[in-house]
Amino acid sequence: MSLADKDFELFRDYIYNLCGIYFHSSKKYFLESRLARRMDEAGISSHVEYHKLLKSGPGGSQELKKLLDEITTNETCFFRNLPQLSALENKLLPEVVATKGKIGFRKLRIWSAASSSGEEAYTMAMILLEKRVALLKDWIIEIVGTDINETVLAQAREGIYNSYSVRNTPDFYLKKYFKQESSERYILSPEVKKLVTFNHLNLYDDTKMIFMKSFDFIFCANVLIYFDTASKSKVVQHFYNNLQPYGYFFVGQSESLHGVNDNFKTVHFPGGFAYKK
Amino acid sequence: MDASMMFQNAQNMVDKITDLPTIPIVATKVLELLDKPDVELDEVADMILTDQVLAARVIKIVNSPLYRSAHEIKSVKRALVYLGFRHIRELALTCSFIEAFQGKDGAFDVMTFWEHSFGVGVVSKIIAQRARYMDTEKAYLAGIIHDIGEVFLSYYYKDDFIRILDEIKGAPNKLVDAEERFFGTNHCHIGLAIAKKWNFPPEYCEVIANHHNPGEASIEPILVSIVNLADLFCSVRQLDYGGREWVSFNLAEEKAWDILKQFAPHMATLDVERFCYELDDRVPEVQDLVKSIFEGMVME
Repeated sequence: MSLADKDFELFRDYIYNLCGIYFHSSKKYFLESRLARRMDEAGISSHVEYHKLLKSGPGGSQELKKLLDEITTNETCFFRNLPQLSALENKLLPEVVATKGKIGFRKLRIWSAASSSGEEAYTMAMILLEKRVALLKDWIIEIVGTDINETVLAQAREGIYNSYSVRNTPDFYLKKYFKQESSERYILSPEVKKLVTFNHLNLYDDTKMIFMKSFDFIFCANVLIYFDTASKSKVVQHFYNNLQPYGYFFVGQSESLHGVNDNFKTVHFPGGFAYKK
Repeated sequence: MDASMMFQNAQNMVDKITDLPTIPIVATKVLELLDKPDVELDEVADMILTDQVLAARVIKIVNSPLYRSAHEIKSVKRALVYLGFRHIRELALTCSFIEAFQGKDGAFDVMTFWEHSFGVGVVSKIIAQRARYMDTEKAYLAGIIHDIGEVFLSYYYKDDFIRILDEIKGAPNKLVDAEERFFGTNHCHIGLAIAKKWNFPPEYCEVIANHHNPGEASIEPILVSIVNLADLFCSVRQLDYGGREWVSFNLAEEKAWDILKQFAPHMATLDVERFCYELDDRVPEVQDLVKSIFEGMVME
């Protein structure tokens, strides 16, 4: 059943207000197909009825969880958010390096706060390794990846990936930092792995969160959408506190912190934006 | 370099050129429209507004001594009411005539230029609506014409301009700074020199002159700020002249944002993220609009 424009807007606004993720018009068909799957299973044929179920029907909150699982593809990959990476390389990284260089503090700290199997953290590691010759000569680089799930942390530490994970990786990086053993097996080079530490962390855990200090860049993509507003505010405030005054905080594509944290300022660049104190 | 010197340099550059560019397709479309028996004035006005040089020309000519208007006419629609259909035809023909003798290539793909100009027009109108600024049409027109100096540089200083664009490509260097180093002036001053030559109303002159310096505006700082912000928002999405300049901005540090919030305090609570995502959704619309205006151009 095709999703009428007004029903699309209904779900787009509902999902945005609830979890801070915006469905662009270009994603209408994606949303349509995922809704169809859920509605089939729930035995509902009208979009309006399904919306009512989510909002206030019996079992609405469980159904919502299932819908969110459908529409937030959990899989990640290397070089996932290219505009963000290009902004980092072009402007944000040189800017932070210049600021820290001036005060003689030659150490860079980066946190991938929901690291999953490590693709985001390792992407940063590869980009920074390329800066070792000039911009980051003699700098100490610390990259921390954290996740609540021990299984994905083990995968991250192992550093073996399939073709799907590397599908966005530029040839240059693929050749330089991966050893391809078969069409489905890519082994990350020890040089990259060495730069990143992976730790177990629950973002709700205040006692642990306060120790994640002094980061220059923090990434937290596609996780906050699962939290309610109060928890979201609390977690984001931790990120705020743990970020250097000149640092940057990144969320995922189409995510929003509006109404979650009013302290952060938006810094816009081609293809996206980041948050700054 | 001080502003008066830069303006002098701009004026010298503009004075050297005896004629200014226009795009004939729109003029032709206006003529076609005028041939329809049931044509509405609004349709013609909208079509004319799709060409900044033509729109500027309409306003200039209607305010020129030739037409002896008692009051200054500031919008195309009013200009059309005042001119009457016969004179619009004259005007469109004149513009086509000029264009026929031009045949110069610009430094950048003209479609990306129009996408940017219309993008800034559309986004200016959206911001004006959100800020409850009264004259949203004026914001739209001001947005469309703000970069008139760029058309000039692209057409008449093509080689130099290409060199500048190459120099700043991919790096966070500002185009206006590179222009100043190279020409001793920038597209804002050049635009102002053209706008003055064309007897543009002062508030449009001010938008053209100060769209990178909203703090300098004194006649209509709110209008200038709206266009400045629209320009920034367009420059970080696909309405960016094909990415010729790498732009980044912190909204909280933008003078225009301060000015706008003073005028419209409710803007302080704007959901900036959602606003951006909604603008992303408008990009294809703007591209389609420009495509529809210029379609057939490649065939000819």
